[in-house]
Amino acid sequence: MKRHTKRYFPIFVLPTLVAFTIAFIIPFVLGIVLSFTEFTTVIDAKWVGIKNYRAAFGNKEFLNALWFTVRFSIVSVATINVFAFLLALLLTKKIKGTNLFRTVFFMPNLIGGIVLGYIWQLIINGVLYHYEVTLTFSPTYGFWGLVILMNWQMIGYMMVIYIAGIQNIPKDVMEAAMIDGARPLQILKSVTIPLVMPSFTICLFLTMSNSFKLFDQNLALTAGAPSKKTTMMALDIYNTFYGSVGSEGIGQAKAVLFFIIVALVAFIQLRITRDKEVEN
Amino acid sequence: MKRISKLLAILLALLMVMGSLAACGKKDTPEEGSKEPTATNAPTSKDTTTGDTAKEEKVDEIYYLNFKPEIAAVYDKIAADYEAETGVKVKVVTAASGTYEQTLKSEIAKSDPPTIFQINGPVGYESWKNYCADLSKTQLYSYLSDKSLAVASGDGVYGIPYVVEGYGIIYNNAIMNQYFALADKATSYKSMDEINNFAALKAVVEDMTAHKDALGIKGVFASTSLGAGDQWRWQTHLANLPLYYEFKDNAAYDNTVLAGLAANEIEFKYAENYKNIFDLYINNSATAKGLLGSKTVNDSMAEFALGQVAMVQNGNWAWSQINEVAGNVVAADDIKFMPIYTGVAGEEKQGLCVGTENYFAINSQASEAKQKASVAFLEWLFSSEKGKAYVTNDLGFIAPFTTFEEDEKPSDPLAREVLAWMEKDGVASVAWTFAAFPSEEFKNYFGDALLEYAQGGKTWDEVVAVVKDSWKSEKAK
Amino acid sequence: MNKERRKRKTSRIVIFVILIVLAALFISPILIVLINSFKGKFFISETPFELPNAETFVEFENYTGGIGKTGFLHAAGWSFFITVCSVAVIIIFTSMTAWFITRVKNRFNNMLYYLFAFSMIVPFQMVMFTMTKVANMLHLDNPVGIIFIYLGFGAGLSVFMFSGFVKSIPMELEEAAMIDGCNTLTTFFRVVMPVLKPIAVTVGILNTMWIWNDYLLPYLLIGSEYRTIPIAIQYLKGGYGSIDMGAMMAMLVLAIIPIVVFYLACQKYIIEGVVAGAIKG
Repeated sequence: MKRHTKRYFPIFVLPTLVAFTIAFIIPFVLGIVLSFTEFTTVIDAKWVGIKNYRAAFGNKEFLNALWFTVRFSIVSVATINVFAFLLALLLTKKIKGTNLFRTVFFMPNLIGGIVLGYIWQLIINGVLYHYEVTLTFSPTYGFWGLVILMNWQMIGYMMVIYIAGIQNIPKDVMEAAMIDGARPLQILKSVTIPLVMPSFTICLFLTMSNSFKLFDQNLALTAGAPSKKTTMMALDIYNTFYGSVGSEGIGQAKAVLFFIIVALVAFIQLRITRDKEVEN
Repeated sequence: MKRISKLLAILLALLMVMGSLAACGKKDTPEEGSKEPTATNAPTSKDTTTGDTAKEEKVDEIYYLNFKPEIAAVYDKIAADYEAETGVKVKVVTAASGTYEQTLKSEIAKSDPPTIFQINGPVGYESWKNYCADLSKTQLYSYLSDKSLAVASGDGVYGIPYVVEGYGIIYNNAIMNQYFALADKATSYKSMDEINNFAALKAVVEDMTAHKDALGIKGVFASTSLGAGDQWRWQTHLANLPLYYEFKDNAAYDNTVLAGLAANEIEFKYAENYKNIFDLYINNSATAKGLLGSKTVNDSMAEFALGQVAMVQNGNWAWSQINEVAGNVVAADDIKFMPIYTGVAGEEKQGLCVGTENYFAINSQASEAKQKASVAFLEWLFSSEKGKAYVTNDLGFIAPFTTFEEDEKPSDPLAREVLAWMEKDGVASVAWTFAAFPSEEFKNYFGDALLEYAQGGKTWDEVVAVVKDSWKSEKAK
Repeated sequence: MNKERRKRKTSRIVIFVILIVLAALFISPILIVLINSFKGKFFISETPFELPNAETFVEFENYTGGIGKTGFLHAAGWSFFITVCSVAVIIIFTSMTAWFITRVKNRFNNMLYYLFAFSMIVPFQMVMFTMTKVANMLHLDNPVGIIFIYLGFGAGLSVFMFSGFVKSIPMELEEAAMIDGCNTLTTFFRVVMPVLKPIAVTVGILNTMWIWNDYLLPYLLIGSEYRTIPIAIQYLKGGYGSIDMGAMMAMLVLAIIPIVVFYLACQKYIIEGVVAGAIKG
């Protein structure tokens, strides 16, 4: 079989591979190379060593975006997961209409970032109107606006993963705990949470990477206002590339750094997952 | 099993289509890839020359990247007419407000880049000089009434201005007369002719605010729109005044734009004057300061059109925006212009800010034939009867070309006011010095700082520092 | 025991009420947008929480005006075309690729597998500029070319998920088909593809959600000429001189409707697919 099959490489793999090469491999390698050069159109690159990286680290806006992104990610990861897990607990209690609730909570997840951003801009500005200010008044408003938006979008998504995790807990384990006379809180602490640990890992990973890479929502909700203080990393990189002519190299260096940070976060996450798998 | 085979048939059919599609893609890629650099560098390769001569005979489409969103719809009509007349399709794409540079940057890299785009003067030319074709041999250039207006470098001409515009404070004379007729007003002015400096303006405006219920207005000035993309009236147009005076003081140059281009740093010594007028705007506004960040230029123009405010800072291009507001209560005869007074000595002789930041450039990297077709379109627009009618009546441009007769000047009230101010004796127009501003980024820093100042998040000194620092850092780039 | 049961019942009622309140909170943003889409454009940003009244009600003016202004129907058409074609292409080609590199074991295929998996963690901004440039050079900056780009960019996750599934299918079936005289291609489509159906649904849903909502990639590649729905909405801000809140509200509603319909029609698959995707991906 194998000998025959091998000949089908051009049909089975080549189309995907060519597309993958054009859309990913070449741009990726080119991106790393270009981050050490000065260029405006890719063809006219001049080697400048690590100058771009120095410039990136010396760039107040980039550092500010990095710090904002980190703070935002921590807060939204924490809030989303807490709320999603609580909701999942409520929805696995065999309450009437569970399916309907699940449907409702999950829905925002399907709406795109740009649309979400404008929905929440309307609502938040509407509330702030009573205090005669808007979202642009202070970066704190933008920060919490983004957190609320992100919660609204992601809670349902994480919730269904937790529900799947909770439903996978073997019935006899639960029953045994109840017969032993364990109180609900005890069950939660020593049965439910340890047994849905894999779901936690997945959800933390998903919320973390989504928060880090946030772009559309950021663009639509605040676009960085006021004074770029609510610009997250993805938006800052975009601005560096397209906001002016001549700083493409710095933009690419920022992009490489961004990639390294995201990869690092993912790698750490993977390590933790593996450790957990070994334990179980 | 039957269903599976049916599904299979569909899938296979799809596969064939996609397969052939992908195959084309594959075949194309290496050739096109190698073609690209040769096409731009050396038009000697057989492949490209044949391609060019084939195109020489007929260009199907040219592409204009438009800067002015408020008149985008007019261009669509013009394009349709031009295509009907000549068979050449004009693709018009309009960049969203405040994103022209960004859009131009991603568009110009495309396989079908704009053939006509615009630069904002010498600074824009510096950024895009690799793409600006020499226009000195074109008829369009020969039409220009004052050749010194063009963006030139060496012997070449790379940007041709297509509109002269003026801006100042637009006021509703009906409301002003209502104020002058008030019995209990605190000032002694009787008509707008007497308001010719900042002190007078301030006295009148503040007294009007005190009487705003009697006048039936929400505020004297329309909202100082500070939303992102809507800040240009302040970080560009209003900023023009203090920097115009600063560069005018530089005796080494007789032209404020040249002085500005040469300045690596600015003192911003007329910052107080800027603050004067800006404070007047936001303190006597129809909108609370904290809400200005969500206001747009359209909002301001609507407030003016609906008679909710008496004044708004804008240019003659705003006529269409005032005119199109449903429920517009302002009579065309009541719409007047006055200069923006900031408290500079001798400003009684100051006129409106008149100039241009709109220069056509032709993409030199487009094929020869496309460049020619693009120039032909512009020449048609500014010299044919049909084109000129569009320019005068629909676009409302005061076009700086000799092809326009005296009676072909736009007749809307704001354009007439601009022309009247330009001809007024003893009054000198303020040149558009912002053509010398170092970059779009500089303006954005300025605008963001103004927003924070209006909201109370920054002191005026901090704004001044931002302006000086970002001028320096953007200039150094 | 009776007391215990009653206590349970009240706690259930409490939870039910909490859930109702939460559900209302979750739905309300969409309802608020819906309400405002019927108000005049100057009445929206100041009083978004009020129902339209005689003064502010404008019927469907925002819808008709907005559709005309943004070319929304074209945008919906392009969104639909690009999403459907890209997802179809992705499912067909990546399932083939995944099956092939899982079944034919050699060093090259193994490396490919890891490359695909690796690409999943790379953020778009890393390749944004260079990929756009490459696509421009190869003339892929049109609605057909972008399908090819989506295949390349979506390959990582899709191949990874299909591979995981293929590993769990026994080889006997395929071998039997081969012995029956099927060649590799027919074996794949007749025997393997039907087995892959559940994972194909998952991959399809994940990619649909991504491509339908994607903004930056289509904006940079084809956005000036062919606007998809997210681009049309973003363009409302500033693209026509200034933002028209009425049109914005109406377009937001129109953008949400297809999603809600799609969701209600196949919510079972969507939720399952998303969970499966999260756990495997």
